[in-house]
Amino acid sequence: MDVLDSPLMPNTVGPLEFAAKAAFYAVSAMTLAGAWITVSAKNLFRAALGLAMALFGVAVLYLFLEAEFLAVTQLLVYVGAILTLIVFGVMLTARIADPNVPRWNQQAGAAWALTAALGIGLARILFTAPWDMPGLSTTPAKLSALGHTILTSYLLPFELLSLLLLGALVGALFIARRDPR
Amino acid sequence: MIVPLSHVLVVSAGLFALGLFGALTRRNAIGILMSIELILNSANLNLVAFSRAWGAPDGSPQVMVLLVIGIAASGAVAGLALILAIFRHRKTIAVDEINLLKG
Repeated sequence: MDVLDSPLMPNTVGPLEFAAKAAFYAVSAMTLAGAWITVSAKNLFRAALGLAMALFGVAVLYLFLEAEFLAVTQLLVYVGAILTLIVFGVMLTARIADPNVPRWNQQAGAAWALTAALGIGLARILFTAPWDMPGLSTTPAKLSALGHTILTSYLLPFELLSLLLLGALVGALFIARRDPR
Repeated sequence: MIVPLSHVLVVSAGLFALGLFGALTRRNAIGILMSIELILNSANLNLVAFSRAWGAPDGSPQVMVLLVIGIAASGAVAGLALILAIFRHRKTIAVDEINLLKG
């Protein structure tokens, strides 16, 4: 049986494939570590750097899932644009590095309980449900097919998105400008 | 796929749980914004993983991910503008100190 015939459970494990798997788990660990830094760092600038780590990790995970266009978009939009904005916002507001300011509010205990319950519930579902669906076509989408889909079936949402971005641009300028009075 | 689908889903669930924890507990408004970005990324990762494992030859899940990335960008822009405006008025962005409407 060819490896390509059963992409979910390949029955041969060569050294290259083992390296790819190890790289996948390493990148996953890096992503989760970055997410943990994002929510737990006392210095907000460090939290922004942790967010960069997590977003970069997600971009590499897209590469593992053979969505190259999305990986590049993730790097350009998230790591390039949104993160720059967030870092600017962090540096324009005060008291980011003051260790006396508590990082979490008083709900931290309840939030721990809630997220732990959520994590345990999700893990139960993830490890008991049968996820592998044999018989479906599992060839990755080609870039040409993706472009065709954007400009035919998804043309209206695509154009609405540009309208939304324009609205966000003008609205952000209006909200954040200095008061003329 | 080189790993089973459920392993990608575990990474995505971890991102979601961490993002939810941050959004619930962070005092700094920019910290909450960053946690929400984590949650959006976990949803995107799920979409891409399912489209790769179960097949979507026209790439429509990837188009949805692109739309989500665009909406997240405009959300971050509007949120940061609001945070800057609030900081200019109140000299703080700790969300538990901004209780003007609490009465």
